[in-house]
Amino acid sequence: MTPEDFDRLQALMASRAGFALSPDRMQLAEHRLGPIARREGFHNVEALLNTLWARPIGSLGWSVIETLLNTETWFRRDRHVFDLYASELLPALAQARSGRPVRIWVAGGGSGQEAFSLAMAALEQGVSVDILSTDLSRRSLEKAGRAIYSGFEIQRGLSARAMLRYFDPVEDQWQARPALRQIVQFERANLIDPLPHDLANNGPFDLVFCRYVLGDMLPDARNKVLEHLHGPLVDNGCLILGVDDKIDSKSFRQVAGRAGLFVKGSGRHQRAA
Amino acid sequence: MSEACDGIEGLEQCLQAMPDLVLLDWRMPTMDGMDFLARLKEISADRMPKVLFCSMESDPRRIAEALAAGADDYVMKPFDGDILESKIDEVGALKARVA
Repeated sequence: MTPEDFDRLQALMASRAGFALSPDRMQLAEHRLGPIARREGFHNVEALLNTLWARPIGSLGWSVIETLLNTETWFRRDRHVFDLYASELLPALAQARSGRPVRIWVAGGGSGQEAFSLAMAALEQGVSVDILSTDLSRRSLEKAGRAIYSGFEIQRGLSARAMLRYFDPVEDQWQARPALRQIVQFERANLIDPLPHDLANNGPFDLVFCRYVLGDMLPDARNKVLEHLHGPLVDNGCLILGVDDKIDSKSFRQVAGRAGLFVKGSGRHQRAA
Repeated sequence: MSEACDGIEGLEQCLQAMPDLVLLDWRMPTMDGMDFLARLKEISADRMPKVLFCSMESDPRRIAEALAAGADDYVMKPFDGDILESKIDEVGALKARVA
């Protein structure tokens, strides 16, 4: 891969998805593009990129973008965030919703571990929830839809008790049971665009999780994404970011002492936090 | 951190200095993991350490058996450092020591 190819990859990531591709990731990019080149029938990465530059619009461009995204995720990542959700946010929201399902959007939910972690906690609490998990990566969404995880994936962050309660062994992997899967809807969405109407038309969300996404985005794209997270969230609803994610927004205010927890609006006390 | 090559040696080490956490295999010479766990409960009294079973066994019935016998969590082999770290964090084995 030439420096010029890398520049064009950076431009592609930025224009289509808002993600920054830092110069130190050039080698990683070349390494990750190898399997795509083989899968798509190209002789090597150079041939793939030459075709991409000749026809930059189309599915090949998205395949390239998807493979360059950071898709790492695991169950109950940052355990204390999920403990806060289960012990404080969920009970308060359940009370406020008076028996109607609590609505949650996991933006950038990847292969489903985060959404299923939220769903498991809701089942434990006996709280009815509807969860929408969106991601840009079709491969991640396919995996999330199958809800099948390897021995490594299922054990990272998930206790054996929870694994036995909510997953069934399928050969040497583990699949989420229907009771868990029916709570979560997986859909494709690009966060630099507003959430499509057909995904938002069941009413606003009480909680939005968007963890470890904004940190990889360009500043303009980050602001745009925050607008798109803000719109479908109820007034005083909570936005949960990664514990290291920093934002500069007048639309959300950070809850003191709760890393990653933000509330929509700057006025009255939040409803659930 | 100390290692024991079988259950008897492990129990002797626990008697000398009760650890915060025991990583326990199911299949061991002289005594299997379930017997070890039962004996550990007898000798530890109110100082029972957290116990993580680490085993090739991935049959849900065996995992449930280990948990019912008192294991705090169960790790199927193969596993890696991330999994072990998350399991140790989840059972809170090192919380008291850190505090």
